[in-house]
Amino acid sequence: MTLIHIAVFSTLALLYAVLVRGRGRAWALLAISVVAVYWLQPFVDVRYLDFAFPTATLLIAIGGWAATKPRDADTPSPIFTRDDLKTLIVVLGLVLAVAATRYLAPALRPTASRPPPIETVILGLALGLALIYGLARAIKGRQLVQAAIFAIIITFAIFKTDALASWLAALLRQNAGADPNLATPADLTWLGFSYIAFRILHTLRDRQTGQLPDLSLLEYLNYIIFFPALTAGPIDRAERFQEDHRALAAAAIFTPPRWVEGGGRIAVGLMKKFVIADSIALFALNGVNAHQAEGGALWLLLYAYTFRLFFDFSGYSDIAIGIGILFGIKLPENFDRPYLKNNLQSFWQSWHITLSNWARFYIYSPLTRALLRRKPRPSNAAIQFAGHMSTMLVIGLWHGVTWTFIIWGLWHGVGLFIHKMWSDRTRRWYNGLKDKPAQKRLWHGAGVVLTFHFVALGWVWFALPDAQTALSVFVKLFGGA
Amino acid sequence: MDETTVREKMREFIKRELIRDESYDLTDDEGIITGGLMDSFALAELAVFVEEAFGVYIPDPDLTVAKMDTLNQMVARVMRDLQ
Repeated sequence: MTLIHIAVFSTLALLYAVLVRGRGRAWALLAISVVAVYWLQPFVDVRYLDFAFPTATLLIAIGGWAATKPRDADTPSPIFTRDDLKTLIVVLGLVLAVAATRYLAPALRPTASRPPPIETVILGLALGLALIYGLARAIKGRQLVQAAIFAIIITFAIFKTDALASWLAALLRQNAGADPNLATPADLTWLGFSYIAFRILHTLRDRQTGQLPDLSLLEYLNYIIFFPALTAGPIDRAERFQEDHRALAAAAIFTPPRWVEGGGRIAVGLMKKFVIADSIALFALNGVNAHQAEGGALWLLLYAYTFRLFFDFSGYSDIAIGIGILFGIKLPENFDRPYLKNNLQSFWQSWHITLSNWARFYIYSPLTRALLRRKPRPSNAAIQFAGHMSTMLVIGLWHGVTWTFIIWGLWHGVGLFIHKMWSDRTRRWYNGLKDKPAQKRLWHGAGVVLTFHFVALGWVWFALPDAQTALSVFVKLFGGA
Repeated sequence: MDETTVREKMREFIKRELIRDESYDLTDDEGIITGGLMDSFALAELAVFVEEAFGVYIPDPDLTVAKMDTLNQMVARVMRDLQ
């Protein structure tokens, strides 16, 4: 989100608070979110792709809903209520309205480039919906959810792997009559897909375990594409979102406490992201200065990067949460003073909290439980190692299928495993320090410094474009040539 | 199985297998996770114990500090599906 996006969303929040009442609020959120999916999508240098990606987002979200909808054994197709149909018609109408802006001046379009002809859009929507409907009818019961999970993971893997993304970009360029040799992974910049994919996967997995509440299409779409959380989270949970969503009609939206809280969060976020983070960014570690600095200066660049990342991301989360509050949806917190934690596990419970929770619920916990159930049961150390490494590997790959993100993930996996071994052996001793406050403070402080530096060194892999540069920075930080 | 039996079985398991200190005086409403006595691995161990001992499956998203911090919360969660 840019400052313009934030200003427009805040203005819309004011109009929404003053003008929109009752059930109209849920519909207003849907309308804003659908248009925002197009508006927030950046320009892509392949014709019509910056219209196709947002449209695909909407179709995938509708597909996710169809796959998670409880169905009777006798009626194989999803159970549409009249309201669901109304939602579908509103969404299609909005997409066509966005497409129709192709006839307006560029400044009046919500899209990054001129939308495709209306007939192409209608054909694309019809094919997409026919595919969803056909698959939902053809694949029975649990297999439909499994197929949907598989499809999301495959799409995710293609878009996050540079080689596959370049191949697909070349194909799309060729199809659009452009030079395929110019294809880069940047051609496939699909705004918010990582977050949308993880939200949909959560609904699909919870459907499998029978935990997902019954959601109308309106609730499901508003949850998946809620515009403040579209670009960079937080990753809310469907059942929590549904509670706020159902309370919207009767909620007091235009109240001073809400506006003080929401406005305050936006102000703090703006300060963190656009003032502090952007200032520190001037001397934060990057692919260029990594080659120039050494010794103390290199540590300074790394510290700067460490703080820039925190202020940028947590500032963004503050803005998203603040806008959510103004619209009556209280998104979950994403940060809780992560650099002040005294061990790595606490760090991961306070850094990008909603992603860590997602990974704990859908990777760590099921994998650990499956291994604990095995007969004969592997050793606790082996289970813990497998659990931490797999979870952190997935978190690494979620950022991109590259060696640097893989190493970053494994760095934290090893760190969490070592912390677990250490804390199991020292827990009783540490809890016994309750009566010795000075000693406890000292150990706590040492833990904070150690954890902070472990995390900061991990960012070397995160910040730099390739593993070779990251490795050379690592060596230089410890006095090597 | 009545609530008292569930409570005592869980208390015994947590003390013996998770806190690893059978002499520990575990009260019903103390924060076991927030107090630093259990972590997410211990929660997974507890979930598998609950499955095997009571036949109750606690879904992974319910294994959180907010929902499973005290013995009271854990027992209530098991009793909800046991009845």
